[in-house]
Amino acid sequence: MRDIIAAALNAAALSGATYADARITDTLHEEISVANGRVEGIESGATFGIGVRVIADGSWGFASTSAVTGESAASAAKQAVAIAKASALVSRDPVHLASVDTVTDMWTGPCDIDPFDIPVKDKVALLLEADAALRAQEKVRLTKAHLGFYRISKVFGSSEGSYIEQTHYESGGGIVAYAIDGAEVLSRSFPNSHGGDWEQGGWEVIERMDLPGHAPRVAEQAVALLTADTCPSGSYDLIIDASQIALQVHESVGHPTELDRVLGDEAAFAGTSFLGLDDLDSLRYGSEIVNVTADATVPGSLGSFGYDDEGVPAQRDFLIRDGMLTGFLTSRESALEINRTSNGCMRADGWNRIPLIRMTTISLEPGTWAFDDLIADTERGLYIETNNSWSIDDKRLNFQFACEIGWLIENGELTRMVKSPNYTGITPEFWASCDAVCSADHWKVWGLPNCGKGEPMQVAHVAHGASPARFRGVQVGVGR
Amino acid sequence: MTINAHEMQERAQALATRAVELSTADSTEVVAAVSSSALTRFADNRIHQNVAEDNSEISVRAVVGTQVGVAATNRTDDDSLRACCDAALAAATSAPADPDFPGLPGVSPVEPAQRVASGTLAFNAEARAASVRSIVDQSATRGLICAGGVKSTVQGLAVANSLGIDVAQSTSGMRATVLSMGSNGGSGWASFVSRDASEFTAAALGDEAATLAERSEGPRDLEPGSYAVVLAPEAVADLVEFLGWLSLGAKALDEGRSFMTDHLGEQLMSERISLIDDALAPHAFGLTFDFEGVAKSRVALIESGVGRTVVTDSYWSARTGQANTGHALPAPNPYGPLPLNLEMSAGDATIDELIASVDRGVYVTRFHYVNVEDPVPVTLTGMTRDGTFMIENGRLTAPLKNLRFTQGVVTALNDVRGVTRDREWIGSETNPVLVPGLLLGGFAFTGQTS
Repeated sequence: MRDIIAAALNAAALSGATYADARITDTLHEEISVANGRVEGIESGATFGIGVRVIADGSWGFASTSAVTGESAASAAKQAVAIAKASALVSRDPVHLASVDTVTDMWTGPCDIDPFDIPVKDKVALLLEADAALRAQEKVRLTKAHLGFYRISKVFGSSEGSYIEQTHYESGGGIVAYAIDGAEVLSRSFPNSHGGDWEQGGWEVIERMDLPGHAPRVAEQAVALLTADTCPSGSYDLIIDASQIALQVHESVGHPTELDRVLGDEAAFAGTSFLGLDDLDSLRYGSEIVNVTADATVPGSLGSFGYDDEGVPAQRDFLIRDGMLTGFLTSRESALEINRTSNGCMRADGWNRIPLIRMTTISLEPGTWAFDDLIADTERGLYIETNNSWSIDDKRLNFQFACEIGWLIENGELTRMVKSPNYTGITPEFWASCDAVCSADHWKVWGLPNCGKGEPMQVAHVAHGASPARFRGVQVGVGR
Repeated sequence: MTINAHEMQERAQALATRAVELSTADSTEVVAAVSSSALTRFADNRIHQNVAEDNSEISVRAVVGTQVGVAATNRTDDDSLRACCDAALAAATSAPADPDFPGLPGVSPVEPAQRVASGTLAFNAEARAASVRSIVDQSATRGLICAGGVKSTVQGLAVANSLGIDVAQSTSGMRATVLSMGSNGGSGWASFVSRDASEFTAAALGDEAATLAERSEGPRDLEPGSYAVVLAPEAVADLVEFLGWLSLGAKALDEGRSFMTDHLGEQLMSERISLIDDALAPHAFGLTFDFEGVAKSRVALIESGVGRTVVTDSYWSARTGQANTGHALPAPNPYGPLPLNLEMSAGDATIDELIASVDRGVYVTRFHYVNVEDPVPVTLTGMTRDGTFMIENGRLTAPLKNLRFTQGVVTALNDVRGVTRDREWIGSETNPVLVPGLLLGGFAFTGQTS
């Protein structure tokens, strides 16, 4: 691999690049899905290639190929330089990069049991067992269960002299029960919706989930939702479970603090941010108990690595401290805009994509409350679990989330179950209304395997640590 | 350098047939794609990302009895193809027998179609940069900031199976998008999709977005509520794509997740709404066969508001007794068959006539971040973006701040007051939808970004 990387970097330099990096990525993937007792798919996939990123004439160019030879790598490098020179036809200031130490290093993520060594039959059997347990309830008319695994190996080399090899495994899965009655379709998921939960690690991650063990409760709750009242409309004190807090952090803190969005790089697609450069260290983002970190060093988290795809070492950084905006997610190029060095957030979705600023593990740091005490402290409220849908505007201000299930809180007690709860808000007002965050005893890192960004679309695997939290006076039951 | 689409198609066909030869499964299906794509993105009036990709991908579906497994690779030497076939076979032998699996489909005659344009093959990095220059100039000279992308894709795709299917086609497409932004909340959008990049007039697209951005400066508030709404084609496309994804496939119908479940043959929408899927139309994009190599059919999904049928593939055809319409996605496919060539029928009005018929309502250029709140009635929530206006006394008046909507699409399409005769291609350069503008009697706006 070292020879192929060198061929790319040499060809880039000879063609006129002032900077180049080359990244060979080898990804192995397996996905198994079951629905209504039938195996819907057993699929494995492998993708291998090299991408070469260059700066020439002060502008960026990138070319990639699935032919991983010295000759093809050099050809891709020359194409990248030609593309960079075309970019320079519509340019402004030349690209500069914040400094980074050059390193030669290896990094490996955690994995106790290689998931690709586990026979597919055993994986299928586990899913069929969980699926059967979901279907024990008559009104559960549709069930789904799935497992997925990745092994991702990357070799990175730069014209500055870094050479980094990294390998990690990811494992994830989940189950869903759909109770259907007439035109009503109500779902209940475990351990999370939209792809379940994921961690860096091997088969031990799946064993810990115990999908079959949780299936009976999931199915019972799905059926109970059919006869539950619809979530009321109005202003309520809202207690949100940890998995939905994870998505709330993702959409209303993670994305708006991506510095490329702040600078307008994603304006035409996913949008910009309500934040500006001047807001750093001056904007009150939330109440004083709101602390949010970006941490690529959390063991076993989907957002962890040794080095990002620019060769910047993994770091922990505060985005919000005591409610104040104190940081952005940055790259080597964008960090210069705030007179800092990169905090290492550049990742690419494979060999054929450029690195973009992506979330690492973006976490709402734990507070002090016990969950039961929080419920007991709430006179009139709503407790909700597990995301069902999400939407947020192009500046990451106006959001609306729907969850799978909720319970009213009356005089400090959870009372009636309600179906289809949703809520809406404006980002800084919402975080300002946060007056309680549960403690580390209730805190968990959730893996999100499906964060979309950029064109061509890139899907990043990111993570969020969260515990349940309370928000005062939130508008719920929108559109009812 | 000009891309050779014919060579890409031949290469894909050779890879597909070779992999079928190498497989030792009872029966085998291979999908091979050889592609070349490039995208020039711009933001803040300069090119900031500029990328190109060449790739070859092979997906093998191996069948043993009624056991099925799939494996994919992008390594194309014989050893790698053989390893991929072996992986698919191993997956198949690990799977339980599926008594409902009907076997791989047999040969069906596929309509030949010319879907490659020489203008797209020659649309290289310099040409893309020149287009971006023309777009940017339209905003920059008016003191506006613009962002967007210019993309081209050329692909040869082949499907072969051990029952004799051996089909291949090459396609090309290009797409350009422009967002232009003013300093006082103004924002305008324009997009263009074509099989042929030589049809693209960059300056005109840049002008359209910049003009809309100037027109929408200084947006004001609007009280949430239900309003008559004129949706430009870009906004209509979102509604149509969600209808197709959630409701118009045989799997969704069978599982009770479609609004047409138990209601086929009934009047479900306004008589002004007709929806077809037609990959065979002369103007269509993409392939004339599906990912099982089965010829695509023209399918009338909704006719004058009456729910008629849904699309199928070999599995759901066998399971439901409906004819196979040729709408399989790549295996394994948990979504079931889906319509990828949707067209909504045109009406007889212009967009100006629709606006002129509204006393008080809202004009929407496009939506943003739309998602599903309730799948059966296709209740969606999302935001308006890049050109939302008040309509008063038949005229566009004040620009509006972005509005959130929470609305059932089936309900909204029950009250259609007008449809434009002009339609536009909206979406990706590989499978866009063809849609008109619509005037709807009521649309629920449930919030606003202040």
